[in-house]
Parts: sequence; structure tokens; C-alpha cells
Amino acid sequence: MSKFSEEKLAKVKEIMARYPEGKQKSALLPVLHLAQDSFGGWLSSETMDYVAELLNINPIEVYEVATFYSMYNLKPVGKYMFEVCQTGPCMLRGSDDIVAYIQAKLGIKPGETTADGLFTLKTVECLGACGYAPMMQLGKTYREHLTKERVDAIIEECTRNAAKNN
Amino acid sequence: MGVKILLDKAHIEGIRTYEVYRREGGYRSVEKALKTMSPEAIVEEVKKSGLRGRGGAGFPTGLKWSFLAKPDGVPRHLVCNADESEPGTFKDRYLMEFIPHLLIEGLVVASFALGSNATYIYIRGEYAWVAEILEQAIEEARANGFLGKNILGSGFDCEIYVHRGAGAYICGEETALIESLEGKRGNPRIKPPFPAIQGVWMRPTVVNNVETLAAVVPIINLGGEEYAKIGVGKSTGTKLISACGNINKPGVYEIDMTISVEEFIYSDEYCGGIANGKRLKACIPGGSSVPILPANLLLKTAKGETRYMNYESLSDGGFATGSMMGSGGFIVLDEDQCVVKNTYTFARFYRHESCGQCSPCREGTGWMEKLLLRLENGQGKISDIDLLWDIQRKIEGNTICPLGDAAAWPVAAAIRHFRDEFEWHVTHAAEAVKSNYGLAHYADPIHVPVG
Repeated sequence: MSKFSEEKLAKVKEIMARYPEGKQKSALLPVLHLAQDSFGGWLSSETMDYVAELLNINPIEVYEVATFYSMYNLKPVGKYMFEVCQTGPCMLRGSDDIVAYIQAKLGIKPGETTADGLFTLKTVECLGACGYAPMMQLGKTYREHLTKERVDAIIEECTRNAAKNN
Repeated sequence: MGVKILLDKAHIEGIRTYEVYRREGGYRSVEKALKTMSPEAIVEEVKKSGLRGRGGAGFPTGLKWSFLAKPDGVPRHLVCNADESEPGTFKDRYLMEFIPHLLIEGLVVASFALGSNATYIYIRGEYAWVAEILEQAIEEARANGFLGKNILGSGFDCEIYVHRGAGAYICGEETALIESLEGKRGNPRIKPPFPAIQGVWMRPTVVNNVETLAAVVPIINLGGEEYAKIGVGKSTGTKLISACGNINKPGVYEIDMTISVEEFIYSDEYCGGIANGKRLKACIPGGSSVPILPANLLLKTAKGETRYMNYESLSDGGFATGSMMGSGGFIVLDEDQCVVKNTYTFARFYRHESCGQCSPCREGTGWMEKLLLRLENGQGKISDIDLLWDIQRKIEGNTICPLGDAAAWPVAAAIRHFRDEFEWHVTHAAEAVKSNYGLAHYADPIHVPVG
């Protein structure tokens, strides 16, 4: 099972120090973010148990939180996750067409991952980019004012980056 | 041009850095507050300013601050609510992204006023890069003596920590936010006790929205009375409006609450009119939770008077013919849009975001989504519309937190004002799948009965 590097463990300590003595559980959300980023983009039960051990809380306290928040992935996802918003303001600006286009282009439905493990498509609810719709979240950034051409360019960019890193 | 006191400097190159922000007069309010004012005097100025919470509820900020319990030996906390998740709302993101030091400055003053030595910014998890911008600003403020120990020799210590959420609209509700900050599921707490008495870690806590805390800066600089002169009536100061939907210039605008809705939509200074030369059909003026209004009730009230962009005027007529200022998320629908479909996306949103604690909300949001999808797909019955009405009535007021109301109101308002469009989806089911009801009579002048 993977464990945090020394450097990441120091980060965990720093996060825990932000909260009062004895309230280390408050560090749970930020530490789960760190774990997901460090261990392949999702939280396995082993990872969650490890986080529980680090924070000295019960594993159940981690599971109940990990299953509540939509940003924690409880199963493996593609290297690049397209999280396309489809709530009202994005819908008014054509997000349905964007979702349909990505589906056709990658040959996957929302919730699915491409066979090469590169792309996951997910439809999500409002991400606070309503004025720059339609949009998607890609990793730690937003891609806004989406058009079919922009989607093509993003897919190309991801494919290129993946090839470079291999 | 209206008065601008929050975003007036947001466009200056480099304003994101401490150096430029300070050169432009930044952190003056911290100097004034910590060197010349007592915490009580600051609370007094905020009361005088008439500032109302900018997150959506509009509760007077000074009053909220004055409720904070101060038992001996128990630390108190200020928590900044940056969980901005109400569909249509993206104003706090803009403020934090482009002029982050304005928030940090407001937080230092408010922390001093409330006696918070450890202040937290709870930011929605998806705004990951904004969290990094804030952390950078905090570092700079500390390096320049505006955070840390004994700030400006006042004896006041303060640290600010950024805490990222992980995707949950409900965490914008203050007690759910507190639970989440404690590392738990975002289930709202039953009140009382209110956070002012027992908040985070059961300590007295004040939770305020980003824009509210940023507004503390001009209030201290100008003085509460001067600030209150901006705006009109009980809508004092300025308000950030995030405009989106079918308009020419979506974006974040600072308004002084004296302009009309018509001017806001059609003038080039703001939304620049409806996109693609279309006509206005409807608008949700304060974020997805507030009632949608057809064009003819939006620009003028039921009495035929001009409607203005402020708390009182937007709610003129109550829920029968008015709406709310809410969070300032201004969503515009053009003549080609379908109100049934728009309402469906909101119902789906609330079903997704219900925490599941209260049965009326957990079950009701799911049923509303199903019924609306059926109507949208031309498979509905007329009785479904009545059933929707019945369900929303049974959610409203019957839940621990306001998410239930927030889910019920958009459905209620859509049926109230657009019932014939819903019925058309049943009577013209085959057509409804292919096309939309269109503008219909929704922009026609309303006949005002005399007497």
C-alpha cells in the first residue's frame, strides 16, 4: 500500500496544526484532497484507513465523509477527468451540446472511462462559472467558454501531455 | 457610472500582489481600526453602515456580530463563507481571484472586532486555484506585519487559514459549513444553539460571506454613516451582481442599488441587452433559489412601478408577484428558452445536493426531479403539475435548514407564473420534445386592476 512521502507527511502535520489541539479531525477534508492527489486520483479503502490512522480517528469517520462529498472519487478514474457542468445557467448556454459532443468524440457516456484509461466524462452540478458557460473542470483548473473546437483542442492537449509523460 | 467601492481597483495591473494593493491604499482600514478604534466601536460602525449579509439571506451584519457570546477563557472564531455554490453566483470567486487582499484586509479588521485569533476561510473545493491565490495573499500580509503576532503593535494576534471543501452545496449553510470544518459530513445542525453561542468546536462563531467581509474595508475607511448614504433605504452600500444566461455581457458587476432592472439588463455598462437580438422571457434575479419572474413582472412591479436592483424592490409583491435579491446571481432567459427544462435542471441540482437528513427534502427533491423530467420529455399528465405544487408545499418550512425552501421556491414560482407552459408540455407532448413554448405572452404588459 502506498504511503505519503516525508515531504507530504510534513504537509499533513502543517495542515493539522491549523486547528486547535485535539481537533485534528478538522484536517480530514484537506488531507483527503492530498491523498487523492497523491495516490492516483481516487480513494481506495486502504487509503482511507491510512488517513484515519494519520489523524487518529476511526476508519468509519473517514468513509462517511468520503462518501458525502462529490469531489472524492471512490473508484479509479481516467488520467484526465472532464467534469462538465449542466445546471441551469450552463444549460442555457448549450452545455447539453457539449456533453453530447464529448460523448460522441470519446465514445463514452457520463460516468465512464475510455478503454485506454485516459479520459473520464462526468456531468456535474454548478461549479460557479455561470458567466463563462459552458464550462468544465479539468483537474485543478476550469476550462470555460467551451465550443466544439475548444473541446477538440483540450482532448488533443491531454493526449499530447499523456504521450510526453510516458 | 455608479459608485464602486469594492471592485474599483480590481482592474489595476498587479493588484493581486501586496505591493500594488498597498500602494493603492490597501490595508489603511487595518491601520485605522487597530490603532484608533476599539472592537466595540468597529461593531458600532458596521451597525451604522446598514450592511446586510451578502451571501443571500440579507441579515444585518452588525446585529449578527453583536450576538457573539464572549464567555471568559473560551476562544472565538470568525469563519469566512467562500463556499459559493448557488447556481448563477460567481461574484465571490471574482473578488478573491482578482483582488484577494481586499478580503484579507476585511478579515483582519473583522477578526479584531470579534476577537478571533484563528480565522478560517472555508472555500469550495473546486476553487482550488483561488485557494492558492488566497494563501499567497495571506503569506504576503504576514510578511508585512498585517497578520501574525502583535499586529501593528496593537497586541492583537491573528492567523488566517484557508480550508477547502470538497463539493457540497449544503456547506454554504452556516451550520453545515461548521460541521464540514470540523471534518464531518455537511449535515446542518438544529438551531438553537446558534453559532454565535456554540459554533465551530462548540465555541462562539461568526460566519460571514466573502463580499460581506470585504465591505468592512470601505465601511471603516468611509465611516458607517457615509457608507449608508450609498444606495437607497435599507439597501445600503454596493452589491456585487454576477450576471449570466442569455445576455451579451455576462460577468460580475458592482452596482449601487439605485439602478433599475431594465437599465441593468439593457445598458452597455452592465449586461448589454439580450444576446443574439432575442427578447427577454424571464429572469431569476438572485440565484437559483429565488422565484423566477416573467419579463412583464421583472421590469415593472405588479403595480406598474419601475423595479429596481435592490432588496426591497426585487421583493416587492412578495412571492405572488416579486422575487428576491438573494445572492445576486442574475440568470436571464431569452425567448427560446424552456422554463420547464430550466426548472428541471434546478430540481436535479437540489436533489443532488440535499444532505438527506430531513425526509421532506430528501424524498421531495427526488420526486420533483422525476416529475419535471417526465413533463420535459412530453410524458407528463396535467395532474403531475398539481402534484409538483403539492410536493413543494410540503417541503417548504418543514426542514432543518433552508435548502428545502430553496428547492421548493423555484418550482413554485415556475408553476405560478408559467403554468400554461407546463400544461402545453402535456397537451402538445410531441411538439414539446422538439421545440419550445417560446415567449408567448410573458412580456405582455400586465393589466393592473384599479382600486
